Amino acid sequence: MQVLKFKSDKVDTFLGSLFLVTAWASVLLLAALLLFLLLESWPLWSRVGVLSFISGQVWLPLSAVPQIGIAPMLVSTLWVAAGALVLAAPLGLACAAFLAEFAPAPLTAVMRPVLNLLTGIPSVVYGFLGAAVLVRFFEVSFDLPSGESLFAASLVLAIMVLPFIVANSEIALRSVLNDYRHTSLALGVSRPYYVMRILIPAARKGIIASMVLAFGRAAGETMAVLMMAGNTMFMPGSWFNQGEPLPALIALELGSASPGSLHYQALFAAGLVLLVLVILVNILLSSFLLPKGNEVKPF
Amino acid sequence: MMKPRHLLDRLFILSLWIAALIVITILAAIILYLFSKGSSFISLDFILDRPQGSPLGSAGGVMPAIMGTIWLVLLALLAAGFPALFTAIYLNEYGSQRKSSRIMNILLQSMASVPSIITGLFIYALCVVRLGWGISLLAGSMALALMIFPVLVVSIREALRSVDSQTRLAAAALGVSKTYSLRRIILPQAIPGILAAFLLAMGYAAGATAPIMVTAAAIVAPAPQSLFQPVMALPYHLYILFNEHVSMQQAYATALVLLILLLSINALALYLRSWQERKQAG
Repeated sequence: MQVLKFKSDKVDTFLGSLFLVTAWASVLLLAALLLFLLLESWPLWSRVGVLSFISGQVWLPLSAVPQIGIAPMLVSTLWVAAGALVLAAPLGLACAAFLAEFAPAPLTAVMRPVLNLLTGIPSVVYGFLGAAVLVRFFEVSFDLPSGESLFAASLVLAIMVLPFIVANSEIALRSVLNDYRHTSLALGVSRPYYVMRILIPAARKGIIASMVLAFGRAAGETMAVLMMAGNTMFMPGSWFNQGEPLPALIALELGSASPGSLHYQALFAAGLVLLVLVILVNILLSSFLLPKGNEVKPF
Repeated sequence: MMKPRHLLDRLFILSLWIAALIVITILAAIILYLFSKGSSFISLDFILDRPQGSPLGSAGGVMPAIMGTIWLVLLALLAAGFPALFTAIYLNEYGSQRKSSRIMNILLQSMASVPSIITGLFIYALCVVRLGWGISLLAGSMALALMIFPVLVVSIREALRSVDSQTRLAAAALGVSKTYSLRRIILPQAIPGILAAFLLAMGYAAGATAPIMVTAAAIVAPAPQSLFQPVMALPYHLYILFNEHVSMQQAYATALVLLILLLSINALALYLRSWQERKQAG
């Protein structure tokens, strides 16, 4: 067969390996990113210790006796993200069920592209509107000195993640076998019963996946929380307190931390905690929840 | 008299209609509100002028910010484009059956979920500090490139996937080489989808604030002249206008310019994508 080997074989092999190498090199940037955060924050971990860094209540990296703990920021992050999910999940799921089962075809044809389009509104615009309108509204109608709160941030984050929840949940609902529908309709089951008892349980993995993804997005979102959560470093006692989630902390302080200082290292450590949180959620997602080849579209 | 069960069914369907209505109303309200607030402040002068007044930005326009955003986005596309295209081709055309592709998929998903401020943090440490580029256009576009890379790969792969696999099999059966079939058969059919992927990534990069905030953005800067100088950018300009209480009017106008820019890019991308899907189906 040696005779039949043409020049194109060499080109084929070359291109094939080019694609392979590029793909791995690019994807491994993730490892580089993790490694770099670890490297930049390394001295801090040995000095402060993981546990006291995460559970410490005071963030004073610049004082004579520096105290470094990110518990208030970590709790704020979890609180805004979970709050956003609580607000967005029922509405998103109902909207997805509506689009998948009940909406008349012309309405679906309009709603889906509109929702898709809205994912393109940048977070700074949401944050700006939230701070200019929503926060002002809270101040006026509840007579508060400041309308900024974790709740206000959650509200805006909920609106931001809604289109993603709807889109991914709808995909999950639509991927359920049509046989179930035919069988249940043939048995005279009502469509609401079919949706609640058969469709949604059958699609639950994909639905949960869409929620987890939304949680990750909300936890990592910077601009909206930076402009709405209030940026105070106390441990938030309730949803209606102010707080400073981790992304806001990093965005606000990175510019003023001199490279190599304890402050600088602490910010990278905070970034590492945030990243590990989000990636853990993701790995859990891909290894347990999702069946093969049915990965959620992140965008 | 209706049976209670039927009544409940009706209520259930009604509540779903209401949910959908709420979602659409919220989102439509956001856009309409911005238009009603911002449109009266937008003029040709606003788009073409430099920021002026005191505090700076309270009068004048946003031209340097628009130019800064355009440069940031184009450089990011330049840096992320080919790696993303190659990775997508590898995943879809070469390695789709292999176990390593599954690992690569998980890594891509994780990459897509990295918060954009963390991307900024990484580029800050690597480019701004270690490589000594300083707060600069180049560092900002690297941060954006890293951020859009997974988005690009996922949507380019979608475009390749939607090419009819019969043509692949036919080409292979006729002994056409892999390279030839990629160049002459698969890529031409996927071009609209690939363009759409690039447009979507452009929109995503143009609206991102957090990564450039720590790596590239300046409150005031001229239109970009060098790769190693800080630049203005539309989203960061909006943040400053509002957060430093410079001017609400200018902020609304800037937000509207940004929104119109991004919505038109996205609309074009979605149109291209649906055009390819229709062509494939028909």
